[in-house]
Amino acid sequence: MSRNEPPGGVFGLSYNDESRVFEALKLLSTVIIVVVGVWPVYWMAQLAVTEYETVEDAVTIVPTPETVTLDNFAVLANPEMYTYMFNTVVVAIGTIVTVVVVSLIAGYGLARLSFPQKENFARILLIGYLFSPIVIGIPLYQIWQSIGLLGTRIGLIIALSALSMPFAVWLMWKYIMTIPEAHEEAAWVDGASRWRGFRDVVVPQCRPAIIAAALFAFALAWNDFTFAQILLPSTETTTFAPGVLRAMSQAQFLPDAHLMAISLVMTLPPLLFAYFMQSYLLKGFQVRAL
Amino acid sequence: MAGKTGESTRSRRTYVPWDSLPASRETIVGIGTVLPVVALYMLIAVVPIAFAFWASLHDIHTLNPEWEWVGLENYSEVMEIATFWGSLWRGIVYMVGSTLIQLAVGLWMALVLNRITRGQKLLTAVVFTAYLIPTIIVSLVALRVFDPAGGVFQALGAEQFGLWGATEAPLGSREWAMPLLILIGSWKFSVFITIFTLAQLRAIPDRFYEAAKVCGANRWQMFRDITLPRLTGIILVVVLLRSIFMFNKFDIIWQLTQGGPGDATTTLPVLAYKTVYTDQAYGFANAIAVVMFLFLLVSAIAYFTLFNPSEEVETTT
Repeated sequence: MSRNEPPGGVFGLSYNDESRVFEALKLLSTVIIVVVGVWPVYWMAQLAVTEYETVEDAVTIVPTPETVTLDNFAVLANPEMYTYMFNTVVVAIGTIVTVVVVSLIAGYGLARLSFPQKENFARILLIGYLFSPIVIGIPLYQIWQSIGLLGTRIGLIIALSALSMPFAVWLMWKYIMTIPEAHEEAAWVDGASRWRGFRDVVVPQCRPAIIAAALFAFALAWNDFTFAQILLPSTETTTFAPGVLRAMSQAQFLPDAHLMAISLVMTLPPLLFAYFMQSYLLKGFQVRAL
Repeated sequence: MAGKTGESTRSRRTYVPWDSLPASRETIVGIGTVLPVVALYMLIAVVPIAFAFWASLHDIHTLNPEWEWVGLENYSEVMEIATFWGSLWRGIVYMVGSTLIQLAVGLWMALVLNRITRGQKLLTAVVFTAYLIPTIIVSLVALRVFDPAGGVFQALGAEQFGLWGATEAPLGSREWAMPLLILIGSWKFSVFITIFTLAQLRAIPDRFYEAAKVCGANRWQMFRDITLPRLTGIILVVVLLRSIFMFNKFDIIWQLTQGGPGDATTTLPVLAYKTVYTDQAYGFANAIAVVMFLFLLVSAIAYFTLFNPSEEVETTT
């Protein structure tokens, strides 16, 4: 094909037609994504602000002004629900901190220091992906019971941290490899110790990977049902997911509108996280080798 | 420039306690950095698996501390019961079905999100939220959506489309439970693939496409020759991860159907859970857990030998 002609499209379409088809497909796709992706969230929000008598009676697509209410959110003051949500927040923060600190240090060690069996160690870590929460949870129930971690938030934090650890360590290792070693060496020349070089040079540059690892740990902890169900049998430490399921099976009356109000509150932190952190997040996941 | 100076600076800083040891300081610090990981890994992976294996050789009632040695009897029993093979098969159906849908949807969403110009950030955030909201919420919403009394699908006319009866709960029907589980799970977990592929797409420099355009390539050729090769590595990795995660999935199945109706959605994790808490057979459940682990280990090794995802990823960097 000559370079002066506009390039030809697929199926023999001209370049302009191809562009038009492409734009149309893109628009259609966007609409589908909006409908399928946004709709359940919208519907949840809509139910959450509708009076529950109305919710029980009929399906509405757009809430009418007279049925809109914020009363459903009063369920959050219910001590049981409040406890579940508080526990989830504690567990999520604990898991994020543990995962980030441990994986940063290990990732640095793997990337910058040489020690025997380094590669094999990293490979064995990969096997960690194969452990199902249920496979770990069943024996862990007895182990935690015998060392007194059963029913504690710490026990759950350790379990969840270990689950996102292999991934976080690999991410951090590969990310630190992309940071030129010369940056640290320059700091060493100026008299910085290895620790200071790590703290002041490497860690600030790792921000995208830290956010990506934190997000992964957050998703795991915020989502977790299996471990919490097995490892937290008592009420004061139960997290949101198993707690709300138990509340549903025990409670005589837990209206959908209330459930959706709680769900909406539990959805807002992830939404804000995804909105404000996405560019860092995508940068952190750009690391190609896992 | 820093290479030589850096080396000498490093060796000049002599900290005393390390020097008398047989290993070099760097080795010790290096091993020290991974010790926390090793400790966590031992506590949460190696010890439980060893414990599970040991427990699987005993006959244990869940609430009874007395362990009775039975050797490999639990394993031969696992291989004999029909529920095990049925659950393995359903697990494979769930794993393969979910992974294929998630791969297709996840890739498609990533390609679209990468190309739209208006509202990109907001839409990306909303899409990502699906992956980040607790599974229990997805389940609660899904239960409500497919509720025969006032569920949205019923209102939209599932009956008219001849999908299921007016009073029938689709999640409680043998025919619909598994497909719906796959769909609901895919709604949430496709996003995992979107996140990884979108990150890769963002990393492709625009000049590649500009060069291709100058050379007269059409969009399909650009996709085939520029986009796809950059994505192959990460696709191999996420397919492996998603297959493993879906095979191991317990939460969403338990929340939506508890393995029912009958055993129509009982996969291996659900079977193991039921064995512990319904049948009270702790030793037997551990035998199932060990078999699951071995099954995944063998499959993962086979996958690595066939596709070698890590190498693929590295060579395309």
